[in-house]
Amino acid sequence: MIKEYQGNDMIVATQIDKFYGNGCHALKAVSAIVHRAEVVVVIGPSGSGKSTFLRTLNQLETISSGSISIDGTDMYDKDTDINKLREEVGMVFQGFNLFPHMSVLENVMLAPLKVSKRNRQEVESHARQLLCKVGLETRIDNYPSQLSGGQMQRVAIARALAMKPNIMLFDEPTSALDPEMVGEVLDVMKGLAEDGMTMVVVTHEMGFAREVADRVLFMEEGQLLVDDTPTTFFDNPPHSRLAEFLSQVL
Amino acid sequence: MEKTSSNLLWHGVLLAVLLSFGYSIVLASQSIEYNWRWERVVPYLVNMEPKSAVAPFDGVAKVSADGLSVVVTSDNGEPDRAYQEFSHLIVGDGDLVFEGDVIVTREDWRMGPIMNGLVVTLKISIVSLFFAVIIGLFVGLARISSNPLLKHLSLLYVEIVRGTPLLVQIFIFYFFIGTVLGLDRFTAGAAALSIFAAAYVAEIIRSGIQSIPAGQMEAARSLGMNYSKAMIHIILPQAFKRTLPPMAGQFINLIKDSSLVSVISITDLTKAGREVVSGTFAPFEVWFTVALLYLVLTGTLSWMVKLLEKRLATSD
Repeated sequence: MIKEYQGNDMIVATQIDKFYGNGCHALKAVSAIVHRAEVVVVIGPSGSGKSTFLRTLNQLETISSGSISIDGTDMYDKDTDINKLREEVGMVFQGFNLFPHMSVLENVMLAPLKVSKRNRQEVESHARQLLCKVGLETRIDNYPSQLSGGQMQRVAIARALAMKPNIMLFDEPTSALDPEMVGEVLDVMKGLAEDGMTMVVVTHEMGFAREVADRVLFMEEGQLLVDDTPTTFFDNPPHSRLAEFLSQVL
Repeated sequence: MEKTSSNLLWHGVLLAVLLSFGYSIVLASQSIEYNWRWERVVPYLVNMEPKSAVAPFDGVAKVSADGLSVVVTSDNGEPDRAYQEFSHLIVGDGDLVFEGDVIVTREDWRMGPIMNGLVVTLKISIVSLFFAVIIGLFVGLARISSNPLLKHLSLLYVEIVRGTPLLVQIFIFYFFIGTVLGLDRFTAGAAALSIFAAAYVAEIIRSGIQSIPAGQMEAARSLGMNYSKAMIHIILPQAFKRTLPPMAGQFINLIKDSSLVSVISITDLTKAGREVVSGTFAPFEVWFTVALLYLVLTGTLSWMVKLLEKRLATSD
């Protein structure tokens, strides 16, 4: 089941376990591989560890045992600079987490300027281009408090893309949105997937999973139970727990 | 409509309360037969005595035809001395003058002792405020650090400083630390004030940082920022904005607490007040003046903080 690293494997998580300080066993021997340009959607009931799993992929959560490599770099090697690695891995949060004291444009430009130390003009034109891509070119001077949830999440996506990451992680990006705004965010994510971005998406949007995902993972109680194509996943659930879960949510 | 008329009524009541308060002060001072002599305070604020120029040697004064300049010629061959731009001519043309005689006087003003005290208070407040913010920032960051040494050391510092009276701290700084390190009184006083205020500033900064949602730090870190960059660009600017109101209160306290340094003979506003009282026998006027000057300082500070708050509110 565990494959050797190949140039095509962007994320290789091997037998990762996560214990919290209170003894909670959040991840149990989770192994997964995400290939280049692949869109992997993670589904599961709340408390199943899917967000924890996602957050281990850029070390917002450390793991208790196992190993994770990103684009061939072992995350827990003592020579690995986690900040450098995180530049490769963009993340979009459920709560947007935009920087409220900065305008939309400044939100997008901050990290490329301060972390990558790229040239200001190049960063600004890139930022404008990204904001155009997410359909917010008219809101660049607004502050986050002046935007709707959907707009904020699109800014958050542009902000993550500004670092030119190879991988994008989405942690329930539409869960905090009003229903009518879900579509605009999913459309941006679809566009990204079409551009060939490697994506791991934790979501409850089954339609998105079925339509966009290359593979769908099902997690429950810290275990990865199913890792299959959307067709099999939804039409022919290979696990009884998944079938039960799908019957509840669909 | 009803609302405005009742508001007007309450403003009227407010005015009446203030007036009766002022009147009761007048009555009170009459009952103890106190004579108010506000004019006695003025020279201690601003000294308007004209400045006079005196002859450096014996000689003869020569006033120019237009009366705008005087030249004193020495009897003993010393170089002539010319005087211009004066307001009052004391000598006449051809007068004999002797060394020490006043030739001309000029309108002038100097700061009186109370104003000098105000400047000292302002100086010691600004210096202490500056260091209090710097020390407080580092102690506040140490308080939330995961390093046990930093965490416990900063906690100890805050507890010790907050648990002892400022007056005692000033004495310790002046008599013990000041003697050991050879500090002058101003430095000792400013150091005591900075260390004292920094403990409160540290707690304000700590609570400000902790009030920023954890997602902000996560977002910053996920973009590849290290801890200090995330602090500098993301967390501290937001925390700074949130802590402005309590910080302003702390700064105002600092200005008021600076009056305690008068106990180590720093001639600040309070000490100047005490000295002027013994010179004028006008304690009521002097202390009211001193209070007013403190109010001007603290009022200006809170006004500036309000302006800053308004400017920072653009992103709300």
